[in-house]
Amino acid sequence: MYEAVRADPAGESTAARFAAAASEHGYDGVVVRNSRDDVVPPTFDSRAAYAEAIEAEYGADAVWGVELGGDRGTLTRAVRESREDVTILCVAGGGADRNRFAVETPAVDVLTRPMTERGDFNHVLARAAAENGVRVEFDFGPVLRASGGERVQALRDLRKLREILFYYDAPYVCSVCADSHLHLRAPRDLAALGEQIGFTGEQVREGFREWGRLVERNRERFDDSFIAPGVRKGRGDVR
Amino acid sequence: MKHLPKHLRPRWRYLAVRLESTPDADFDRGAFQRELWFAAANLLGDPGSADADLRVFSFSFGAPVGEAVVRVRRGEVEAGRAAVACVDGVEGAPVAASVIGVSGTVRACEEKYMRGPPEAYDEKRVAFRDADSRAICRGNLRDVRSDSRWTGATSLDME
Repeated sequence: MYEAVRADPAGESTAARFAAAASEHGYDGVVVRNSRDDVVPPTFDSRAAYAEAIEAEYGADAVWGVELGGDRGTLTRAVRESREDVTILCVAGGGADRNRFAVETPAVDVLTRPMTERGDFNHVLARAAAENGVRVEFDFGPVLRASGGERVQALRDLRKLREILFYYDAPYVCSVCADSHLHLRAPRDLAALGEQIGFTGEQVREGFREWGRLVERNRERFDDSFIAPGVRKGRGDVR
Repeated sequence: MKHLPKHLRPRWRYLAVRLESTPDADFDRGAFQRELWFAAANLLGDPGSADADLRVFSFSFGAPVGEAVVRVRRGEVEAGRAAVACVDGVEGAPVAASVIGVSGTVRACEEKYMRGPPEAYDEKRVAFRDADSRAICRGNLRDVRSDSRWTGATSLDME
């Protein structure tokens, strides 16, 4: 199970601290949503070296991802430029246009927080997401950290999203959108929370496992042994 | 009042809760209990919160970490767990509260899950993000104070 987080400088904890906390909570690792920013300390010369040190120290996998925003034009270019650079490519939801772009682009892995910024979700988007294998994110952040009307709205949005996505069997991921290591919660606690707000515990756990499956799939896809899409180097069994 | 016969006494479960916060957090059992009640009432509603009947038993907190034993009605453990997860701050300090185990008695809970007083920490000057800052160090975890906020870091992030 993985959790997707925003690390320092955008967030309030570094990727290594997130990894330490996640490992304590029983996650396999963290997906850093803002790995394009300056998340690697200057003592390491690459993201790979930093990830290796984190793995050795805390036994948690640090996965580099990016969460793209902007309008359709800039997004098209940004997706093309970032795809090879990161393991997990997310598009920040919000607004009908951005949600639609994300679910219609197979190169996008995850559409995050589709209900924020006056965004909405419907059956057309759900079908497109299922067809293109774009995961849609359930964001439990506001349920954990907001209160009053804001929280009620977040719960209402989660319910609507859940009803639509599950009807069309569209793929999904769960996260708490953590900005600080203090925002992380154990998968078991989140499953219990999910049960209170209409999910089953298993559905929530499945949402956290889905990050792991995405990571594994993308690492294999972007492995150097592929010289072209579908063409792998080395001796095959086919003659 | 006379004790209830055994089969009518409420049955309890005890949640071992681990707390983590920022190094300048300062709150006591009462404040945590209040936040827990608020969290439960907001998430479960008044009836659900009354059913869970969450009560903080033993509590020890020495910023930035602590632990507590929270009593919950048997059969409401999952609801109690969800309410504990929803505690996100006490007296203005951000708090991460998570259930690390469940026991049938307070004693078993303390013996099995409580770690006792937290490991000693010390204050150092560190070089973090091109600046000289104050940091609270616990093992290889570092809580760095910069621009009047705390940043969670580790020894890997220091220059």
